[in-house]
Amino acid sequence: MRKFLAVVKHEYRKIVLKWTFLVSTLLLPLIALCFAFVPMLIFSIKGEPTRIAIVDPSGKIAPRIRENLSADKMREKGEKAVKDSLKKLDATTDEKIKMQAQQAEESFILTDYDTAGKSPEDVRRELNRKITDKELDAYIIVPQQIDAETATVNFYSRKAGDFVAKGTLEDAVNAAVYSQRLADAKIDESKVKQLSQRIDFRATSIDERGDEKNLDWVMGVAFVLGLMIYITLAIYGQLIMGAVVEEKETRIAEILFSSARPFELLMGKLVGVGLAGLTQLAIWLVSASAIAVYFVAQMAIAGQEIPIPSITPAMIVYFLIFFLLGFFIYASIFALIGSVVTTVQEGGQFAFPPIMVLLIGFYFSFAVIRDPSSTLSFWVSIAPFMAPITMPVRIVTEMPPFWQIGLAILLNGAAIAGLIWVAARVYRVGMLMYGKRASIPEIWRWIRKS
Amino acid sequence: MNTTEVSLRVANVTKRFDDFTAVGDLSFDVCAGRVFGFLGPNGAGKTTTIRMIVGITAPDEGRIELFGQPMTAALQDRIGYLPEERGLYKKMKIADQLRYFAALKDLTGKEADRRIDFWLERMKLAEWKNKKTTDLSKGMSQKIQFVATVLHDPDLLILDEPFSGLDPVNVEFLIEVVAELKARHKTIIFSTHLMETAERLCDDIILINKSRRVIGGTLREVKESFGKNLIALRATGAEWVLEDRALVADVDARADEKILVLAEGADSQVLLKKLVDNGARVTRFEQIEPSLNDIFIEKVGGDNA
Repeated sequence: MRKFLAVVKHEYRKIVLKWTFLVSTLLLPLIALCFAFVPMLIFSIKGEPTRIAIVDPSGKIAPRIRENLSADKMREKGEKAVKDSLKKLDATTDEKIKMQAQQAEESFILTDYDTAGKSPEDVRRELNRKITDKELDAYIIVPQQIDAETATVNFYSRKAGDFVAKGTLEDAVNAAVYSQRLADAKIDESKVKQLSQRIDFRATSIDERGDEKNLDWVMGVAFVLGLMIYITLAIYGQLIMGAVVEEKETRIAEILFSSARPFELLMGKLVGVGLAGLTQLAIWLVSASAIAVYFVAQMAIAGQEIPIPSITPAMIVYFLIFFLLGFFIYASIFALIGSVVTTVQEGGQFAFPPIMVLLIGFYFSFAVIRDPSSTLSFWVSIAPFMAPITMPVRIVTEMPPFWQIGLAILLNGAAIAGLIWVAARVYRVGMLMYGKRASIPEIWRWIRKS
Repeated sequence: MNTTEVSLRVANVTKRFDDFTAVGDLSFDVCAGRVFGFLGPNGAGKTTTIRMIVGITAPDEGRIELFGQPMTAALQDRIGYLPEERGLYKKMKIADQLRYFAALKDLTGKEADRRIDFWLERMKLAEWKNKKTTDLSKGMSQKIQFVATVLHDPDLLILDEPFSGLDPVNVEFLIEVVAELKARHKTIIFSTHLMETAERLCDDIILINKSRRVIGGTLREVKESFGKNLIALRATGAEWVLEDRALVADVDARADEKILVLAEGADSQVLLKKLVDNGARVTRFEQIEPSLNDIFIEKVGGDNA
């Protein structure tokens, strides 16, 4: 037991007292946040404006399209969309809509095209030539008669792949035709709008304890949480592998094995590195809480409504339990790999399958976030190897019944027992085999025999 | 030999790996306060035997007793093992690694620090205490590894090729330290294939080859039991006398002299007389005992050529 503790202390200090520990403690949350926000940023970058010629022999539709694509109209549309999706229009959303509307307007340059005295073929030929000469990016041909049910508006574009532009344009054209039809039928458009106003159907998710939650906020937290567990497990797993390979490569294993039992050494290593991982998590949790408290205080001072996050102490305990379950599962796999390979590089190749499994678990957490009470979510959140990521995500999204959490702990605990049993057998033979990598049949023999 | 002083007893030990017998029915005793040479060519089963002695693996058959008790994990703390294949943590301070190795032998706290300082001082490496392994030369790391072996003041020391990679000055230095440990009644098992060093250091030896014992006992016993009368001869003339197979079994011609192996039952005096009577001019005629190297080559060489 004293030797076990000596190993734990050694492994713990080896990680925590290094400057890389400090750097990763600071960097990992930043990386996780980048993963969460970079895709959003990329989509918000606008491209070059699209130059579009509108061919409208009737002359009635073109001005309406133009109006519909103006910033004001776009903003109106955005606000309506938010209201329709039953969300509250707060200051930040409003700001976002304004910006998007401005962007939408700037992304189109519309010109009218005079068709007088030209046959449709001439028009098309001329416009196509303009596109080839890059004077124009696209054109729209509005038919003379728009009342017909089969009326078709044709859109010809050099950038056919720009689906965002196409969608916006399609909406604008449709709305223009719609307004024109109402006008032709002498119906007051504002009256129609007023009458077809959707009622405010307000939905709020209620968890087991009857607390209300802000859904956006919960999804964000669940995603960042899943990502952090994924990254941490992958990093600490590889850390274990590196440490095992070092002891094998430098032949320190021979001295270690003559001083303590291999099982003590292996467990000491797992526990020591695990504690280092917990230390890092604790730092994150404490600083995240501190930051949260700071912001809540700021909002309270500013007199704003405070979104109360429904993170309970029980959740944090579960989170730590599942982190440890995941850690021991992947750490024992990586320790096993480390003890059969001869170099870290070789280990890297073998690390691929467990990393894949971990990644699949991370992907399943999206399914869990979307529908935490589905059958799929149930199975992936109790499954060994995946539960350490998916269950905490599920707990944050929607607290599952306790028996499911218990079952997940039980199944993953059993997986750990089995993995450590196997890893210990492979470790004590593999660590003393120098020069060559053990083959699978060889490893199988060690597991069976010893 | 006084049996109460036996610190290590290996009795009929056999170890197999699948169909391959690494150690076959091996028995020997090692007595306290003596240096025991564990000799044999590469692949003879030395490392496998040592691993069983230090408790890394268990024998399939036979017994290993340490200080009169069957081998257990607790007894590991009384052994200091310097493996042939050895290393240190690359990016760790020397003092930290030594503290860790000491802790694994159940030596911690101030006492550990005191002994680390003592041994680093003794090895003339005190100023390297807070350096990392990567800053050390090969010879220095070797000496640090030796410190790690003796730090917990073990009663049984197993040194597997301790001198490889050391310069002659450091070899002499280490031999001196080993002699000190011997004087403190420590038991030292010394495994090597350098016969000159073994001959200088060892009180007792065992030679194994192909998993089995070939010869063993005190150095004197081994040499006597080798049973060969060797004569170093430097002479000119009457060379034909050496052709007489009734007197000389074999001649090994060296640069400036010949090593003669006397025939079974032949008398060296008869040979000398015959040489002189036939007009040979003898400048050296000396009865010599076989070196360990000769014994090693004779016993092992034929198989491993």
